[in-house]
Amino acid sequence: MITAAVEEYLEAIYKLSLEGEPVIAARLAEHLGVSPPTVADMLRRMTDGGLVKTSRKRGVTLTPKGREAAEKLVRRHRLWERFLTDVLGFDWDQVHDEACKLEHAISDQVEEKLAQMLGDPETCPHGHPIPGSKGARRRERLQKPLSELGVGDEAVIERVAEEEPELLQYLASLGLLPEARVHVKEIAPFKGPLLVQVAGAQYALGQEVASKIIVRAA
Amino acid sequence: MPLSCHSAIHKLHGETEYTIALAGNPNVGKSSVFNSLTGMGVETANYPGKTVELNVAVTELDGTAIGIIDLPGTYALGAVSEDQWVARRGVIESKPDAVIVVVDATKLARNLYMVIQFLELGFPMVIALNVMDVARRQGRSLDLERLSRRLGVPVVPTVANRGEGLEELMEAAVAVAAAGRKPSPEGFEYGRDIESRVAALAALIAEHDLEDPYGLPHRALALLLLEEDPEFIELTSGLPGWQPVLEQAAAMREEIAAEHGQPASSRIAAERHALAGMIAAEVEKVEETGPPPWGERLWGYTTSPATGIPILFLVLGSIFAVLYFVGNSLAALMSSLWYTYVETPLASALISLMGDNLLSQTLIWAARGVEAALTVGIPYVLVFYLLLAVLEDTGYLNSVAFLTDSIMHRFGLHGRAIIPIVAGAGCNVPAIIGTRVLSTTRERLIAGVLIVLVPCSARTAVIFGSVAFYSGWQYALLLYAILLVLWVLVGLGLNFVMPGTTSGLVMEMFPFRRPHPKTIFRKTWFRFKAFLYLAVPILLAGSVILGFLYDSGLLWDLAAPLAPVVESWMGLPAVAGLTLIMGILRKELALQLLVTLAIVEYGAAAQDNLLLLMSEWQLFIFALVTAIYIPCAATVAALGRELGWVRAVEIMVFTIALAVLVGGLLNQFGVHFGLA
Repeated sequence: MITAAVEEYLEAIYKLSLEGEPVIAARLAEHLGVSPPTVADMLRRMTDGGLVKTSRKRGVTLTPKGREAAEKLVRRHRLWERFLTDVLGFDWDQVHDEACKLEHAISDQVEEKLAQMLGDPETCPHGHPIPGSKGARRRERLQKPLSELGVGDEAVIERVAEEEPELLQYLASLGLLPEARVHVKEIAPFKGPLLVQVAGAQYALGQEVASKIIVRAA
Repeated sequence: MPLSCHSAIHKLHGETEYTIALAGNPNVGKSSVFNSLTGMGVETANYPGKTVELNVAVTELDGTAIGIIDLPGTYALGAVSEDQWVARRGVIESKPDAVIVVVDATKLARNLYMVIQFLELGFPMVIALNVMDVARRQGRSLDLERLSRRLGVPVVPTVANRGEGLEELMEAAVAVAAAGRKPSPEGFEYGRDIESRVAALAALIAEHDLEDPYGLPHRALALLLLEEDPEFIELTSGLPGWQPVLEQAAAMREEIAAEHGQPASSRIAAERHALAGMIAAEVEKVEETGPPPWGERLWGYTTSPATGIPILFLVLGSIFAVLYFVGNSLAALMSSLWYTYVETPLASALISLMGDNLLSQTLIWAARGVEAALTVGIPYVLVFYLLLAVLEDTGYLNSVAFLTDSIMHRFGLHGRAIIPIVAGAGCNVPAIIGTRVLSTTRERLIAGVLIVLVPCSARTAVIFGSVAFYSGWQYALLLYAILLVLWVLVGLGLNFVMPGTTSGLVMEMFPFRRPHPKTIFRKTWFRFKAFLYLAVPILLAGSVILGFLYDSGLLWDLAAPLAPVVESWMGLPAVAGLTLIMGILRKELALQLLVTLAIVEYGAAAQDNLLLLMSEWQLFIFALVTAIYIPCAATVAALGRELGWVRAVEIMVFTIALAVLVGGLLNQFGVHFGLA
């Protein structure tokens, strides 16, 4: 059984990890407004429950089970926000706190009916994607690492999943940024680097670098 | 010894009227500009702990002395890589009177990124719009006037490798420097989300009346902090009064990240690229042209696996063949010339002057040190540098790195390491210097060890002169096979043992260009000069010391403690231990000395038959040990310079241990199976 407190943690880890930096206990404590020992204690219990993993290098990450639970919560939260603005007529800057309370209270059936009634929206009133919506699922399915493309494929960079800010900035200076269009011209043998064209210039990207660049079909 | 950047820049300011910094992306022809503007009097300088160097030189325009600072070629100014760090530090520290940014006219959008960064820093600037000829061939027409107006700086079209437009470029740069004209770009703004925060942060800096050590504009500082630039955050956090600004910047970064779902640094980079792209689109018109030029088509063959791998083998084989045949014949020629015209007359002169004593013999050894430098340096090193410069200048090296990246990864290296390693088969010294192309200390160390284990031409001479000559080529091949197995094991082992991971390959690829003789000769000469400075003193000193030890007979005393290892463990005669010590100076000396000693022992017949002294099996072990233990003195000096002396000593100890282990095991194996 996942308690409301655990749910808050899952949601926080989910949101922080989307920001691209490793989630560390101190950031979590700050985000949730609790003390670091409390966070450490809770993380230990969540690790035992198989919801999160912690490592020195990558910080706190969600397990598949934890991610599923977190996405469900975020989905409910954002669906409630939509309901509060679209149906009850609240302003979008008023709905967050209400949604925080409502998200823990509903069953799968209510969630499904709510989504149906709202027309399976793709984003919340703030423009964030609602996980599990058809549109989000479709987009996610189309996303894959650049390293999985074949010769001749074209794609658009969705994001750069990166723990090393240096590499991120280096790639950024070359124009390997979200929304940039890439064209795979060649792949070296034995799982070697990819030769990609970006805005008139060509770069060789090693497999491990290419696997961190998430693209979607052009 | 290279100068420190700080003193080099200081000296330049003192000697010249104006200083001009030369910046640009890699491969835009910046070095052609630099080479054309300056003569041979170039000095290199580096920052402590950094391997990327700055070149400084003095030139003259209409009687005015002008100092040129050549910054490393980078895609951006920042702190994320060593070259970017050096480029930025070089410019903000030297505060040049003008910056010439060399821009590739065929890749305007990408090149404008760094131009925008320079505009943010507020330096007086001139754009050299280079490779205009290629741009025209590609059907690009550029509105230079509009570009100049948009950026607020003069734009001069150039074709640097033919020297076109360079006079105008210098005149424009000196005019800008003389007037101290800051750039006045038009409509230069990022998105409101960024600009409002930059303005607020800049206001906060102004309000607290803060300044950084380099006196950068407030807007530039605000951007750097929002970009989470590690260097400037560290720099300012150590200064009084910056704390509130840093906190504000951190909060703003979080806001930007939350709004856009990507880090603030990426957001700002995206804005710069957008601006660069917009300007490029405004000033550039592209018309479709015919089929791609020969360079691009040939290039396609070298990167495509089916054709690229055979081409690679062909090229590597050719390098080896040229070094082997051309190098060997040049070496033989140099050596005989030296022997006939220098050493023999010098020796007889010395002996008749001083008598045949220890002093005259030691001086003759010193002359042999010079010979070593000439016979290795000119035939192998110079020839190799020439080949390397051609491969670099055409752009083929990038294709090689691309193809071999995945194999090199198993050794903890990436594709760029293949070149110095192949170079090692000619001479280890330039190969070790060549490891500078690698980005991390871990990679440089692994490459250093692997290069040392590549048998250079001198060791090849020992293997051919002993094993192949007396036992047959099959045995020489077997010896190479053993070395190859060891090499692979050491590579895999180092990658496993050394902490850290291999850095990923990110490298710009560009189509072949026609190599430019002047650039090639200059590059070759500068590298060769560096080699001579490094190797000649070592060879000279080493020759004198070892010669003295040998002629005075002290060497025998030194070799005595080695006897248990050499005789019982490796099963070699005691004299072999002595020759191995001499081999530290030059590997082929080990064999030459062995022959000499054999003659002393068994008379002139031994010259043709070394087998009087050693069995074939012993010769095999001797050649193998010679190929593995300590690289020669010049290589050790190169290791010390590139990796530090602690690492150099570690590598020496490691190779000795490996040689003793392998030699001994082989001997025990031979004894056991009755081969010895």
